[in-house]
Amino acid sequence: MKLSNSKRSQKAALIFMLPAAGLVLGGCAEKQVQAQVFSTPDECTAFYNPPAQCQAAFAEAEQLHPQVAPRYANKQECETDFGSGQCETAPQSNQQGSFFMPMMMGFMAGQMLNRGGLAPGGGQQASQQATASGRNSVPTQPLYKSRDDRNTFRTASNTAVASQPGTTNIRPSAVQPKAASLARRGGFGAQATQRSATRSYGG
Amino acid sequence: MKRHSIEPRPGWQDFAKSVGFGFHTIDNEPYWDESAYYQFSLQQIEQQLEAPTEELHQMAIDLVPDILANEQYLQQLAIPERFWDFIAASWRNGEPHLYGRMDFSYDGNSPAKLLELNYDTPTSLFETGFFQWVWLEDQLMRGQLPTGADQFNSLQDKLEQAFAQLPLARPFYFSSVTNSVEDKGTVDYLMDIALQAGLDCRYIQLEQLGDIDGQLVDMDGFPINGLFKLYPWEFMLQEDFASTILTSKTQWLEPSWKLLLSNKGILPLLWQKHQGHPNLLPAFFDDKQPITAGWVKKPLFSREGANIELVTSSGQRLTEDGPYTDNGFIRQALAPLPKFGDNYTLIGSWVVGDSAAGICIREDNSLITKDSSRFLPHIIVD
Repeated sequence: MKLSNSKRSQKAALIFMLPAAGLVLGGCAEKQVQAQVFSTPDECTAFYNPPAQCQAAFAEAEQLHPQVAPRYANKQECETDFGSGQCETAPQSNQQGSFFMPMMMGFMAGQMLNRGGLAPGGGQQASQQATASGRNSVPTQPLYKSRDDRNTFRTASNTAVASQPGTTNIRPSAVQPKAASLARRGGFGAQATQRSATRSYGG
Repeated sequence: MKRHSIEPRPGWQDFAKSVGFGFHTIDNEPYWDESAYYQFSLQQIEQQLEAPTEELHQMAIDLVPDILANEQYLQQLAIPERFWDFIAASWRNGEPHLYGRMDFSYDGNSPAKLLELNYDTPTSLFETGFFQWVWLEDQLMRGQLPTGADQFNSLQDKLEQAFAQLPLARPFYFSSVTNSVEDKGTVDYLMDIALQAGLDCRYIQLEQLGDIDGQLVDMDGFPINGLFKLYPWEFMLQEDFASTILTSKTQWLEPSWKLLLSNKGILPLLWQKHQGHPNLLPAFFDDKQPITAGWVKKPLFSREGANIELVTSSGQRLTEDGPYTDNGFIRQALAPLPKFGDNYTLIGSWVVGDSAAGICIREDNSLITKDSSRFLPHIIVD
């Protein structure tokens, strides 16, 4: 037994470095979870959701919009997919000139909005979902509508999620937002290649 | 301080492999060596290693504002002028730091002498915090060590505490160079501890880091708001994404001000300010003269013993080749590593936050400790 005033750690345990520890996954199929879909914060409020939460979810989606919206090199190509007058200029990119993206037509509130217990079971489910994280939950995100189907709300990666406002059931893995892939890569690591004499870049 | 031979644990190689420590043997040469261990008294540990570590750490930290306020120092440390404001801001904003390791020449009797600070990308962390800890527990259980033997090694506890308490971005990313198994091992260990502390961790290969409009992004293009990088700052500042560093909203571990301390130029600056301190060696910026007996020449930036030249008191010259010739050098009085049998022994002393957190021991057949130097465990017995 070690003494409490010892000079060493009380424990030195590993979790994911242990063999196969990181591979243990639940055996059951992915569950659908509830999310809500709206065109505007006002519509969200009309569904008896607290206005502040509707506004917050809208703002979160709006902020994500320029990061995840599909990008087009010109306006015409964008309007072919999303309709005339339905595209806007994407934020200026230093390296690659200007791009176009569809306008945001709605938002999906990932965690159930807290309706103060008015909806049956809503409160409990909200807290359960709020504790879920990462790939098990539905991230709040912007939604779009294509030119040829003006009823259906779609994610930035073109997954149809609902054809009317309100609650919908979603598989979280189908709606994980991916940012537009315009990143430059490979900007770090050149010195490691040049100075290949060492086997570690620490010391 | 003594060196004792001991029977290695049967099957330790399999255990090492099972916990991701595949690099215990490198090119058929032992790196982890448990055929012997070092024994210290509690007084040696607490008075001669732990206390000086914390004092030297504080002295080094106190030098940061001095350096930032003095252009001559920044030039002597070869810090690119373009990044002066960025580094100053990281210090001014109190960006938290995680860990570091200082290396000592210490023989158990005379004061430990500071050889250098590895304050940006220290490795051999897993070997210290986990593998040597398990070795002690195993050998105690097997009755191979004196009952009640302890170890100066609170590294994992202190790292876990740091990850739980530091105000870190979530998720927090960890990165290392793709082709270094050893660096990945270090990063895996840190992520494991961070995970235990409740942090949301993601790994990304250093070469895969992306830039969108000056913001560092992950593989899915999402902003990286917090990044631990096991890659030297002085490299990053010269590479294609150097300008991304200036614009990206990213919290860095280690923060960029650590570049001032992981620099060998800190050694002459410490000596200027604290001349005669028992744990410091006389050190000066290079005057381009050949070094004479009793001196060591070191590059401002180098790792694993690379590009070090030393002349022993009897005039014997030793050099170690390496890839770090492009910046300045310093010279430091030689404090020869003590010899135990045929081995020259170096002590690494860890710092987490601002606390001393344990030691690790490296042995080499030469006076210059290198990446191939063996790692040996230690115990404390009173």
